[in-house]
Amino acid sequence: MADSEMGEATLERKLAVYRNLDERFVIREEKYKGQQFSHIYFMRLHHMRSQLQSLIPNWKPHLPVNTVLGLEEGKECIIVGTLYKHMKLKPSILDEYSKERSAIPLVKPHNFMSTDDHLILEDESGRVKLAGPMLAPSAFVTGIVIAVHGKETSEGDFFVEDFLEAGLAPQVDRPLDSREDKFVAFVSGLSVGTNAFNPLQFQLLVDHVTGHLGDENEQRISSKIVRLVIAGNSMHISHGFFSGQTVAPKDHAKLTEPIRELDIFLTQLVAALPVDIMPGCNDPANYSLPQQPLHRCLFAGASAYNTFVSCTNPHHFELDNVQFVGTSGQNIDDLYKYSDAKDKIEFMERTLRWRHLAPTAPNTLGCYPYVDKDPFLIESCPHVYFVGNQEKYETRLLQGPDKQLVRLISIPRFCETGVAVMVHKQTPLSLSLKFLPPVSLFLLFYLCSLTLGTWNAMRSVSPQICKCDCGYPMGTALGSSMHTRLCSYFTGDILPLPISAFFFYLGRLFSPDCCNF
Amino acid sequence: MSSGDIKGFYRQKKKNSGVTKPSSSSSSSKKSKSKHYTGGASVGAPSAAQTPALVTRGGAIDLKEEYGDEEEALRQFDMDMKYGPCIGFGRLERWERAAAMGLHPPPHVREVLVGLASGSTARSSKFKCLWEGLV
Repeated sequence: MADSEMGEATLERKLAVYRNLDERFVIREEKYKGQQFSHIYFMRLHHMRSQLQSLIPNWKPHLPVNTVLGLEEGKECIIVGTLYKHMKLKPSILDEYSKERSAIPLVKPHNFMSTDDHLILEDESGRVKLAGPMLAPSAFVTGIVIAVHGKETSEGDFFVEDFLEAGLAPQVDRPLDSREDKFVAFVSGLSVGTNAFNPLQFQLLVDHVTGHLGDENEQRISSKIVRLVIAGNSMHISHGFFSGQTVAPKDHAKLTEPIRELDIFLTQLVAALPVDIMPGCNDPANYSLPQQPLHRCLFAGASAYNTFVSCTNPHHFELDNVQFVGTSGQNIDDLYKYSDAKDKIEFMERTLRWRHLAPTAPNTLGCYPYVDKDPFLIESCPHVYFVGNQEKYETRLLQGPDKQLVRLISIPRFCETGVAVMVHKQTPLSLSLKFLPPVSLFLLFYLCSLTLGTWNAMRSVSPQICKCDCGYPMGTALGSSMHTRLCSYFTGDILPLPISAFFFYLGRLFSPDCCNF
Repeated sequence: MSSGDIKGFYRQKKKNSGVTKPSSSSSSSKKSKSKHYTGGASVGAPSAAQTPALVTRGGAIDLKEEYGDEEEALRQFDMDMKYGPCIGFGRLERWERAAAMGLHPPPHVREVLVGLASGSTARSSKFKCLWEGLV
């Protein structure tokens, strides 16, 4: 795909070899036969236990490994099992039926932790309560598989002296440096259809990524973007429509408006570069993980292009042999509700160390009841791990004991922050692009320009005429360009203009965390 | 698991020594019947042939005389926790899953199930696990 500039050499967009590895998340042959969630927990335990058992000899080789039922009082040993965290404040469907409501607050807190939480370890034979200061319940959640070393006390608890998590999975070697720079752009939380969505802001992003913005240097950067990944919550359908009542014919348009608006933007994007779109918690996709790809018929315009790829959530793909894995944020948000950490990046680190993308599924996070596999297990450590729909942009480079190197990225919601993230495929660096429409500044400049133009007209100095031939006098070339931009925006024409570049540079000037490594 | 009234419920007498009342203690109760049925996880459960709930299975009272060695082996396979939970999952699929995981499930169980598949379809209840329709 070429972005051409008038009369100069065409800039070609870089290409990268893409492989979609979402197969394990797509629900194809699975049939629901009435099974419960015990099978997915069994598969998880079996798989993680075999991995932990290969790590235990390096950790504490002299201790025996027992099952929970085989514990003897006072004898030191290691047990491997799934953690269950008993939480008093965890909302339960049975609360509706309980006679006394005093223990559970009516207003749901954001975080359900309390000081009374305790951990229980479970395997196929039984369960035992874990005691001791080594395991802080606030750092753990239900559903992770660990090995603990300790002994059984006289009360029947297991006193923990040490514990072992699986740690980062082995990583496929990153491919050797090629001379070229390639970037992958990430954005999430567009929320088309809400009041928070600003079309100008998103249009700026589209223009920048497709190369219609800025001078040649900017276009050169844009030509290095090989893919755009939209990590969930692209549209928002008003919740009034979910009450189950029939929608009046006059409201039909309101129902499909956000989808159509998103499709228009997407068509501009897919015409220029490959786009992956993932479903999020507000998108019209299924609720339980793994969310299935958004249907093609939602995107009448964009799905005609072969650069449009609708993906599952979680999403796993490979670009030039660099592994990317990410979700739209439900897994990390759920961890935030049931455990505590310094920041969201730390939650992401923990999921990698536990080798499981969504450990709280199916306990508190909706999940399909698989019988023969647990698709969220992380078999090989990715090179880039991203999570969408978070509050702010954060990134960290995580190093593992076996020379694993993972770039962790938390992508903020675009409708709130206007920040998109670009990741350099090779190194991997990441930087954030902030699209600020400084509306007040715009108005001020526009008014100044108008005043100046009128002043010039009064003094008979030949004014700059707006390019769209509306005849409006503007004082400065920049002002006239701005006006043309306004006109073009409303007529749907998109012209490459210095004013867009002005916005872009202004935004970069004012955003303190514009370039982040 | 109700602990009373089993004697009054059934009018017939069983071959073995009386009805075993289910114990409420949680110690692993080995129910020693004449056929050495040592269940793994069914603690405190009344012996399988006596519960009224089993009347629903196949439409006939599941008496010990009727289910022979094959069913015994299949139930042992169901109860063995090493191969995972058995509820909501057909026996043959569970066997295939255990084989795929490398747990070496007993091959004669598979032969029984495959033999049944080719035989009469009246015994299709054997493909479902022990607790099918009861839990």
